[in-house]
Amino acid sequence: MSRVPFYLKERLEGLRERVIHEGFEASKLPPWERVVITWVVLMAFWVVITGSPRAGDLALGAAVTLMIAAFMRDLLTEDIRRTGHIVEKLLYFAFIYLPQYLVIMAFRLLESNLKVAKNVIFMDINPGIVKIKSDLHSDTGIAILANSITLTPGTLTLDVSKKLGETYLYVHWIDLETLNREKAGEKIKGDIEEWLKKVFW
Amino acid sequence: MIEIILLLFGEAVMVFGALGILRFPDVYTRLHAATKCDTGGAMSIILALILIMDAPAVVRAKFLVLAFLIAMINPMVSHAIARGAYRYGVKPKVVVDMYAWDNP
Repeated sequence: MSRVPFYLKERLEGLRERVIHEGFEASKLPPWERVVITWVVLMAFWVVITGSPRAGDLALGAAVTLMIAAFMRDLLTEDIRRTGHIVEKLLYFAFIYLPQYLVIMAFRLLESNLKVAKNVIFMDINPGIVKIKSDLHSDTGIAILANSITLTPGTLTLDVSKKLGETYLYVHWIDLETLNREKAGEKIKGDIEEWLKKVFW
Repeated sequence: MIEIILLLFGEAVMVFGALGILRFPDVYTRLHAATKCDTGGAMSIILALILIMDAPAVVRAKFLVLAFLIAMINPMVSHAIARGAYRYGVKPKVVVDMYAWDNP
């Protein structure tokens, strides 16, 4: 008897989440912007890999990467949120979001190296597998979040389960501190999820 | 000066990672040592090589691409090994196992 309102509340919550998810699905980037972003990324990779500034090589690379980008436009950029103009978004991403993320991850990686060295020396481990909830829905965002969790100190992503608008991550934690899902999520994800929510949906 | 520090730090981290693979009790904790120490050590050694060598800037950019690929691929491989070991039936030595609660 007393469980029924809880059940209804949970159901409504799930419905609202799904509606929001569908809304984000409808507000993706238009196709030509996806083609342009993929083309820019592939062209930068081509220039770095070949390393020759001759006009013939550049023209060949532009043609080939444009052809690949026209076919593969959903692979990289399907999950990017549409906010504002595309040039503004590219500039924000290249000069604010990406350096911020790189600096955060560099310091977390340094800290995790030192922590693993400390664990090896003293063997003060207390491992456990916990389940945390993520607010992200897109595939690329979840992949980047899982890789970042693997590189942050003391945690390793074991599996991801995605059920109808809700995402759960199973994390192997080498020094188990709490079993509460919200506290564990705050401790494990940190500020990386806040960063990812600005770019991906 | 800073490249010598980076080289020494990378090698020390690599040594601690190998020591962790020998000392930790089961597959998952060993993966902790392998993934983090290999990623950090290899990236710091690559940064030291970028600073120390005299080569055109394109070659250094290629080394940066290599560091990026290491940082992307290493956690994916660790996730694949952990999930494969769990599906194969290797039991983890843990206090609480929420993955076994949901996948009986």
